[in-house]
Amino acid sequence: MTTLDQQPAKAEGRKDPWGVLLEKVGKHQDRAAYHALFEHFAPQIKYYAISNGMASHAEELVQEVFISIWRRSCLYDWRKAAASTWIFTIARNQRIDMLRKMQRTSAEMAVETEDLWQIPGDNEDEPVTSLHRLMSERRIRESLSQLPEEQITVIAKVYMEHKSHQMVADELQIPLGTVKSRVRLALNKLKVILQDQNV
Amino acid sequence: MTRHHPDSLSLMEYSAGNLTEPHALCIRLHLEQCPHCRSRVDTLNSLGAVMMEQQPKVTVSDSSFEQLMARIDSAPQDTSPVVQAPRLSPLQKLLGQDINELPWKRQLGDVSVLDISEKFPGQGERVVLQKLVAGGKAPAHTHRGDETTIVLQGAFADQKGVFNQWDFVVLNEQDEHRPVAVGCEDCITLSVLSAPVKLTGTFTRMLNPFIR
Ligand SMILES: [Zn+2]
Repeated sequence: MTTLDQQPAKAEGRKDPWGVLLEKVGKHQDRAAYHALFEHFAPQIKYYAISNGMASHAEELVQEVFISIWRRSCLYDWRKAAASTWIFTIARNQRIDMLRKMQRTSAEMAVETEDLWQIPGDNEDEPVTSLHRLMSERRIRESLSQLPEEQITVIAKVYMEHKSHQMVADELQIPLGTVKSRVRLALNKLKVILQDQNV
Repeated sequence: MTRHHPDSLSLMEYSAGNLTEPHALCIRLHLEQCPHCRSRVDTLNSLGAVMMEQQPKVTVSDSSFEQLMARIDSAPQDTSPVVQAPRLSPLQKLLGQDINELPWKRQLGDVSVLDISEKFPGQGERVVLQKLVAGGKAPAHTHRGDETTIVLQGAFADQKGVFNQWDFVVLNEQDEHRPVAVGCEDCITLSVLSAPVKLTGTFTRMLNPFIR
């Protein structure tokens, strides 16, 4: 960890107010900080639950996500992910977890959800992130505002409604290839496609 | 360093949490060894966060936060901070320390297989480990559905190139090939199959040999 690498990341990362609150929860079990996070993120998570078909469990998912945030905030590292990215991965995993538990009453799970879907920062071996990673949320927000509606619609269905590309194609009654090319165009503009082979 | 990576669309489905468990496992095993794709997934996770933020918000019930605090106060053992323990790799958790020592079933010539689908109940997919002895050849075959494979040990080669440890590859019905294990180690792969393999050579028995 050289000081040179650290400085820009530090300046950028420290601007994330939600990350500061998460650290307060992690270090001091700060309830005011926890409440502020709840006020901001709980309504997003509730919509997330409803849009992916878990309306009757939406409040329950919010509770599970926030218990997980409370328990895991001590592992949160602002250098590895922005707070909202970290919370998104927790919401995603809690949703998967809840569905897994509903589907399997007795059978033991050979692998846990976190073995398959990692939360950023859980792996302490992983090197501290680059500035590029911390910048990405702001960059995505800016690029997203320039994308055509049809591309955003497809991405929203994948992330919020948990539809596969095939299901999105069926629903919008367009060919699968069109769905894929819309996603690729969007990811290209968002600079997610750094290097794609076999495409 | 791996050279064959999952495409961005698969990584997006992974980031969104839409993949089945066996498919997620293949991506996860690749990510463990590939900083390049980890960085792509980081960005995709941020895309997920921004999508969530830009959707409508739904008011939670008035008592929701109080319920949360009551739970934290009444069950401190269930809500205590998680301790960061060294995690076993998902592969070790699933298959133990040495994948060479599994109860492999010898099949055609150089090929051994082990079906581990039962470790993923309710997923409706076949999950198969395959081993091709060092220098061995698999019979020519094609694929009926999409098939995702990750190399766990050694390397194999076919018309399309060389696939080393932690390389990721998806094959479908257009891909007829005849893989050969290269290098001095047995080549072991993990494959997730959406449909059975179709042999194109003289073999008629459906054995799912080195099916990648
Ligand atoms: Zn990769």
